[in-house]
Amino acid sequence: MSSREENAMWSIFGYLLSGLLFWGGIGYGLDKWLGTAYLTLIGLLVGISGAIYLVWLRFGRQ
Amino acid sequence: MIPRGVSVRDLLRSGAEGGGFVPPSSGDFELPPIFGDNVYTTKPIALVFLSVILISAFFIISSRKAAVLPSKLQFAGESVYTFVRNDLAKDVIGHDFLRFVPYLFTLFTFILVNNLFGIIPLLQFPSMSRVSFPYILALTVYLVFHYVGIRKQGAIKYFKDIMFMPGVPKAAYILITPLEILTFFLVRPLTLSLRLFANMFAGHLLLLVFILGGEHLFQGVIGLKLISPFAFGIGIVLTFFEFMVQCLQAYIFTLLAALYIAGALADEH
Repeated sequence: MSSREENAMWSIFGYLLSGLLFWGGIGYGLDKWLGTAYLTLIGLLVGISGAIYLVWLRFGRQ
Repeated sequence: MIPRGVSVRDLLRSGAEGGGFVPPSSGDFELPPIFGDNVYTTKPIALVFLSVILISAFFIISSRKAAVLPSKLQFAGESVYTFVRNDLAKDVIGHDFLRFVPYLFTLFTFILVNNLFGIIPLLQFPSMSRVSFPYILALTVYLVFHYVGIRKQGAIKYFKDIMFMPGVPKAAYILITPLEILTFFLVRPLTLSLRLFANMFAGHLLLLVFILGGEHLFQGVIGLKLISPFAFGIGIVLTFFEFMVQCLQAYIFTLLAALYIAGALADEH
């Protein structure tokens, strides 16, 4: 595939991964602080949905 | 809880006597958390999120700047989409099919990618072999097709048509009605989820048996060492078979979801 498409694919991958890591990390930290178990999962879900929305805003519309 | 750094197999191996081969069991499916002891950071959950990332990235890239003469990536993405849209949605559901295509497309690609993780090197774990994932997917199919039926025909008429099927002589209702109630409300979601789960669980277990068994045979006396390539060979054949089963199970799940929706939308007259 062309290098433009390849760059776009890597940056989409980066957006999604960083959304997961950031909000998952916040959820994980809150879990450690409050002693619960499920906040990590909520953080991961918020992160991935926000990241997908961001990717659609940035890449999905021409 | 198992201490970190010790696998279930190590514990079992320390307790086994004689040859020391520990056959793979359902304990091999319980993977420890990757870091910390939070139960939501295990490998199956990481694989599920990875599948979402891969599917989103692939389809967003392949559909942007869509040209009339498609590039290879665009053609690949379009092939999967048109397969679900035509062969699964249009042919099965009929004239109101477009609004179900997103849901069926999501189901198909999600289950397919998660199944394929079972044979991809370094990942090698089908996330659908943890039973809660198929349960939730079957629950969403169940909610969707009942909701669609109630919206289309009204709640009372929909349930009455399920329980008392029109066109059947009244005496047969004693036989048919309990069966229909069981089927529509209990058996359908149960079989939908357990079919997917059992196929993935059994396939992974088979691969584990032959590959771990081959490795164990290789460490034995010379007679056993000569047999171990056959175990690995069977493992390779089973990997191809497993690939076919994984694609088939994704297709069957989506096909049944489309059929249930079509059944809920059907006009009796």
